[in-house]
Amino acid sequence: MTLADLAHPRQDYSYGFLDAFARRELRRRILKAIAIPGYQVPYASRELPIARGWGTGGLQATLSVVGPQDVVKVIDQGADDSVNAANLRRFIARMTGVETTTDTTKATIIQSRHRIPEERMDKGQLLVLQVPDPEPLRHVQPDSSQAREMHADADYAQMWLSLYEQLVRFGRFMQGASYPVIVNGRYLMSPSPIPRWDTPALHQSAHLTILSAGREKRLYAVPPYTDVRPIEFSDVFFQVEDQAGRVCTLTGAGQKYMDELPQPSGESRFRISDTGYVEKLLKMAQGESTKIGPTYYDDAGQFWMPGVIK
Amino acid sequence: MTVPVMNPADTRQHATFTALMWALSYPGRATRLPVAGPDALTLIGETLVDLETSFFTPDAMLTARLSHTGGRSLPADSASYQFYPRLSRSDLDLLASAPVGTHVAPDLGATIVIGCALGWDTRLRLRGPGIAGTREILIAGLPDAFWSLRAATARAPLGWDIFLVTDNAVLGLPRTTAVEVLSWPM
Repeated sequence: MTLADLAHPRQDYSYGFLDAFARRELRRRILKAIAIPGYQVPYASRELPIARGWGTGGLQATLSVVGPQDVVKVIDQGADDSVNAANLRRFIARMTGVETTTDTTKATIIQSRHRIPEERMDKGQLLVLQVPDPEPLRHVQPDSSQAREMHADADYAQMWLSLYEQLVRFGRFMQGASYPVIVNGRYLMSPSPIPRWDTPALHQSAHLTILSAGREKRLYAVPPYTDVRPIEFSDVFFQVEDQAGRVCTLTGAGQKYMDELPQPSGESRFRISDTGYVEKLLKMAQGESTKIGPTYYDDAGQFWMPGVIK
Repeated sequence: MTVPVMNPADTRQHATFTALMWALSYPGRATRLPVAGPDALTLIGETLVDLETSFFTPDAMLTARLSHTGGRSLPADSASYQFYPRLSRSDLDLLASAPVGTHVAPDLGATIVIGCALGWDTRLRLRGPGIAGTREILIAGLPDAFWSLRAATARAPLGWDIFLVTDNAVLGLPRTTAVEVLSWPM
């Protein structure tokens, strides 16, 4: 027997890149975040081989949770093939050896920048959202210590005021992506810059959502089956982006969240933003067998859970 | 470059953390730990506790085991992670002093790991985030006063996050879960 037989094989990196302390700290924070839905748990965001602001928060959450049995999907604005998504996916795979996929229904962990897939996520799936700005109160209170006190007091009056001001000035709520939500009737939360279209998907969802901001060093979560309500008035309701009349040039489908492609003529064409879903629709059109899961919005544009969008 | 592989400690801790994460996400639904019996508490300690945090346990043997993690052994009124292999009535006084966090930092509330048994004795109805509607569970081996103590202490967002461990199963009870003690018969 030699010393080499007794030692672990030499590795250039720890499993999942992060060292044991970083991983343990993130795991502790993730558990606290799940226990206090919507509360921003501070954490020591570690250095990664990508720059802060490019998804390091989401990446650290994914790397601390992922195991060899997982199947990982990474999307950026709905696309599996964008530079950011491709690089993150390759890095995760290289550091963990996990299987990767573009299929929402097959993935156990979906790391996403700014979209929730069109197909409904199910029990036991984990959605990791990359968050650039975790503080929903920043527009009304730039001092983060003050904002923390406001969260402690559940003092969100200024948010309602800004909502009212939008209504008076512009006749509608102007906030597009990152539409603030109240989680479990307690904490105001930024759902990361997902479009309003995706916000209802967090309400009473079967899956777990972890939101992580690497640059801002905050991590928060929405457990499954938790109330997530966009802020709205009792007589003026939150609305999702109207996709009516938009038809995907690739698939001919409608009533999904579309990317707008401006044309030289000044007109616009549209394409479904969720490329994994497009891939499946195209396969089906070509007669190949594929399994499309139920979607959040049906072909008439109705959200699957009645009463969520008023 | 070869893909890194998990060493045995990574594998154990990953399986334990995954069990804890899903147990807390779906309160009242048991998830499986990689080991059973008293080792399960040690393993949870090894997964969560290190020199950046602190622990408390009234059990001398477990104190010795948990001290290998590098965590500081602190009294019950200040330790972040607390382990009770068996929760007796006298332990409740210790438990009552466990930190519940502050309104500015509710995450400073303690995580409590308790050994118990599942499937008989006290019937509980759970409600809250992670539970679609309500869920009923049967728990044994905990003093009755534990539930009134928890109800008096856990005022979300303040409170303790509890893991109930039995054999190789773990059940999560975050502070947001409302627990109703039901009477027999069913």
